[in-house]
Amino acid sequence: MLLSLKWLREFVPYEGSTQELGDRLTMLGLELEEVVRPYEDIASIVVGHVVSCEDHPESDHLHVCKVDAGQGELLDIVCGAPNVATGQHVPVALVGSVLPGGLVIKKAKLRGQPSFGMICSERELGLTEDHSGIMVLPENLPVGQRLLDVLDLDTEVLDINVTPNRADCLSVLGLAREVALAFDLPLTLPQVAMQEEGDDISGNISVRVADPELCWLYAGRIIEGIAIAPSPAHIRHRLHAVGVRPISNVVDVTNYILMECGQPLHSFDFNKLNAKAISVSPAREGERFVTLDEQERVLCAADLCIRDGEEAVALAGVMGGMESAVDTATTSVFLESAVFRPASIRRTSRRLGLSSESSYRFERGVDQSRSLWALDRAASLIAAFSGGRVRRGICHTEPKPYVAPRIPFRPARADAVLGVALERDFNERVLTRLGCAIEDGQKETWSVTPPAWRYDLSREADLIEEVGRVHGLDTIPPVLPPLARVLDDVARPEPVFSFWMRVKRWGHGLGLHEAVNYSFVGHKDLDHLALPAEGRVSIMNPLSAEQDALRTALAPGLLQNLKTNLSQGALGLRLFELAHIFAADPSSDTTVRQSGRLGILLYGLLHDVQWPQQERDADYMDVKGIVTQLCRFLHISAPVCVQQDEHPFLRPCVAVQVDGHDVGVMGRVRPEMADAFHARKDIWLAELDMEMLATLHQASYIRFTALPVFPPVRRDITVAAAAGVHVDTVIAHVNAMKLPLLEQIQLIDLFEPERGEERNLTFRLTFRHTERTLKDAEVDKIREKIALSLTGALQVRI
Amino acid sequence: MDLLSVLQRLAPELEKGLGQVFSLADLEQLRVDFLGRKGRLAQLMSQLSGLSPEERPAVGQMANEIKTRLLALLDGHRADLEARQEAAALARFDASLPGRTPWSGSLHPTTLVQEEICAVFNSLGYEVVSGPEVENDYYNFEALNMPPEHPARDMQDTLYISEKILMRTHTSPVQVRTMLSRKPPLAVIAPGKVYRRDSDLTHTPMFHQVEGLMVGENISMAHLRGTLTAFLRAVFGAQTQVRFRPSFFPFTEPSAEVDISCCMCGGKGHLNGEPCRVCKTTGWVEILGCGMVDPAVFEAVGYDPSVVSGFAFGLGVERVAMLKYGIGDLRMFFENDVRFLGQFA
Repeated sequence: MLLSLKWLREFVPYEGSTQELGDRLTMLGLELEEVVRPYEDIASIVVGHVVSCEDHPESDHLHVCKVDAGQGELLDIVCGAPNVATGQHVPVALVGSVLPGGLVIKKAKLRGQPSFGMICSERELGLTEDHSGIMVLPENLPVGQRLLDVLDLDTEVLDINVTPNRADCLSVLGLAREVALAFDLPLTLPQVAMQEEGDDISGNISVRVADPELCWLYAGRIIEGIAIAPSPAHIRHRLHAVGVRPISNVVDVTNYILMECGQPLHSFDFNKLNAKAISVSPAREGERFVTLDEQERVLCAADLCIRDGEEAVALAGVMGGMESAVDTATTSVFLESAVFRPASIRRTSRRLGLSSESSYRFERGVDQSRSLWALDRAASLIAAFSGGRVRRGICHTEPKPYVAPRIPFRPARADAVLGVALERDFNERVLTRLGCAIEDGQKETWSVTPPAWRYDLSREADLIEEVGRVHGLDTIPPVLPPLARVLDDVARPEPVFSFWMRVKRWGHGLGLHEAVNYSFVGHKDLDHLALPAEGRVSIMNPLSAEQDALRTALAPGLLQNLKTNLSQGALGLRLFELAHIFAADPSSDTTVRQSGRLGILLYGLLHDVQWPQQERDADYMDVKGIVTQLCRFLHISAPVCVQQDEHPFLRPCVAVQVDGHDVGVMGRVRPEMADAFHARKDIWLAELDMEMLATLHQASYIRFTALPVFPPVRRDITVAAAAGVHVDTVIAHVNAMKLPLLEQIQLIDLFEPERGEERNLTFRLTFRHTERTLKDAEVDKIREKIALSLTGALQVRI
Repeated sequence: MDLLSVLQRLAPELEKGLGQVFSLADLEQLRVDFLGRKGRLAQLMSQLSGLSPEERPAVGQMANEIKTRLLALLDGHRADLEARQEAAALARFDASLPGRTPWSGSLHPTTLVQEEICAVFNSLGYEVVSGPEVENDYYNFEALNMPPEHPARDMQDTLYISEKILMRTHTSPVQVRTMLSRKPPLAVIAPGKVYRRDSDLTHTPMFHQVEGLMVGENISMAHLRGTLTAFLRAVFGAQTQVRFRPSFFPFTEPSAEVDISCCMCGGKGHLNGEPCRVCKTTGWVEILGCGMVDPAVFEAVGYDPSVVSGFAFGLGVERVAMLKYGIGDLRMFFENDVRFLGQFA
């Protein structure tokens, strides 16, 4: 809401600084966003008097003027405007001044004639769009004075952020009330100088409201014998200062009153209305209507129309119709002042994507007790500015009169909620100054009637807020509350956040970078990875096609991150992300099931700085090692890794299982898909189920085992096996022999000869006896037994 | 030459030999020559049996003294050599060689901030709770005193899944779900992702919020002020000034927006004579929204507003991170460029 300081001063005699005003309003809940100085860029323009004006000897349209601009001597100024004439008072830009738009005025020679300045049009001054000629000022203005001062322009405008509850502050009057309250100043309303003439219209024009719930008040007046022309300059300049485009002496007045007291008004060309029966009724489904902005709108039954007989002439509270609009030929207007149901206006405005100053105020609630005052004030101003006459009488219906609520208010409750002790007198003074009537002010519970303009005051909490904000929330002493815990809280399971946080700390400590991606991706991103279309959740109103589906895997985001980093010259990448994926689930109360996932991506060079680390690209064993390490970190069993035949985007793909439960997958992104992310090396990914990991982790516990007393004996054994013999097969075979002294078997080396069918797997066997030291001979004997068993069962060589 | 004088010459000869020895290997060779099983001393000792019984004890004793002397000479030289080698190694040592560093990772700045906020509130007795990111209109809006067609819905442009299902626009539905499943008193903090249909230089369609809620008997605005002042000083430093401005949220009343003294210019509005770009010369930056829980919200979750009161607050995690770490561009949060991420190790 733009508030002109000068306009404000017509209501309340505030004489302090703009900044102080802004600060005080901010601390009352009306935040000052900035101070706009709309005429700052014409501060150097002065009033000049055209002493003489002669035709330019070398031009058929230029004039050579001698202008007194208070400079001591007359200035020669060449001017091309058709309307310049001797004796005029005009705005003059002196040499050295800068016009809006950046034009610098310099000494010039125009077809041989020197020119020391410029006489300006309204458009050149940024005042209006008028560029038909120079701006001619009233004759009594003092020469040489700043235009800003002599025209009394609104030089300081406060941009105030009005919260949705404070509809009453969407006007100069409303903000003036707050200023009066803040600085303890009197509030003065403009006088309405109404002179009615002719026959009373109230009997001639009927108003019918179909549903009292949709239109609470409807009133109209007729102003006749008008001549459409621009408004007086001070009206135009003031509207311009608060961002409203001046149009004509009729439309400007409706806008002026809207800005002034918050009541939206609409003017119809009375001669274009067909019937003398106005009705307010819902639109027919599919009804077509052309609004003032020349757009054809298709209406539905939820939209409310103003009709003259059958035809719609306005979309109630939102915008008038093209057909009945005031134009330059208009001689008679029907002026409407009404109150509509906020939710109805909002629905129409939102459905049509059509928001106006009017709909904005109707949606939030307008002061029904001021509608007729606004109508009268506007009618009298239109008559005054257009040479017209206000017809006697008002056509008026108020199917749902405003009824003020009576709100119980307990000062003790206010103290308890705010945490301060407010004086009785303070509460009384604040509520009274806000316009409330107080009854039972000596009792424990007061009965408070709020003023009609405060729709937001309906409950005790609303009144507590009022006394609180005037007292100053910032002056309430800060106190720490007592601990709000009950005994049951203490033994609750670990919150998901904490578990995730621990896993994040693990990833961080391990050396991975945490990524955070949007939860939505494009359907096409999921398609690219051949992820099933079934079960996806789409966004109904996405910002773009890149964000039209909720992700069903973390891979799309991580792969996008890889592309980003490769384009920045990265040679390798280690990322992880912990986030939800989403799937349609009719059994959920939100129709969507979210599942926690841990995604890990490894690509290219493993170390950020190579030497003395070995230069090496990430491979399967890196990603598997990380997954295995996570299981150890979470105290759960080592993962069992089972190669899968098919996966949408991984090949090979390995299922990760812990104690028979599926925990997730890992593998290499299919090269043909990886290409799209500009990968030149293998991308290794893992996606793990956070809920399963949490469940396994919660069931796990730490149990101490006694340390062995006797030393181990180690033997290595190298197995030359066909490529199809997996490490796990060998280990499983040895473990299945159930050798009591064998403590552990692990792979310690792998050698794959080039072009060889076989590979050499070296295992380390660790033996230990719990009660004595083992002898070499007995260990060698067991190793032989193992070798024999392996060669027999697995067709391998030792 | 008698055995005795030969024995006595051993030590000077060893000394002479040691003068030519510059390595531990040569030293070992010399030791073997003199003291080995077949060394010179051993050979001389083998001649001991040829001596008369009277001569034997004196020569034997002499031989032992010589052996001790030889050992001392060898040990002394060994110590010399080792000290010289150590000195040479030290002279070669280069402390500026790069470390063989393990990987270093990083946590996303939004994670760091969420963790820090939750840690402060944990210390104040709050429990961390979470809820679904896809929400019902009811939990996201209606139960929070925002019925359909409420103008406050304009404050939050919403991404919809269907007419009644949406991407939560704030973490406030978590407080509704928490109150529905628990009885007061309670103190919870809910960090998480939230979504708005908004994307420009200062808005991303997804960002993070932390929502806090305390409900009990006799909880007042003074408690809210105390809690948030403590929290903001813990996060932004003890010197931080905190300002409460009345504002509006449908689910709290009274509502306030909280400003802190600008951490860039220290609340002065100017930095090195230039207008501060963070606070735009006001000296204050808006940091969170809060208020006393609206009675309508208590009614929606079946709490009796005449018995309990409470406060709620919410803040944007990215905003805190931007202020705290001096990040200028919101978009960087979701590009996941490791040159950005790596700065938050």
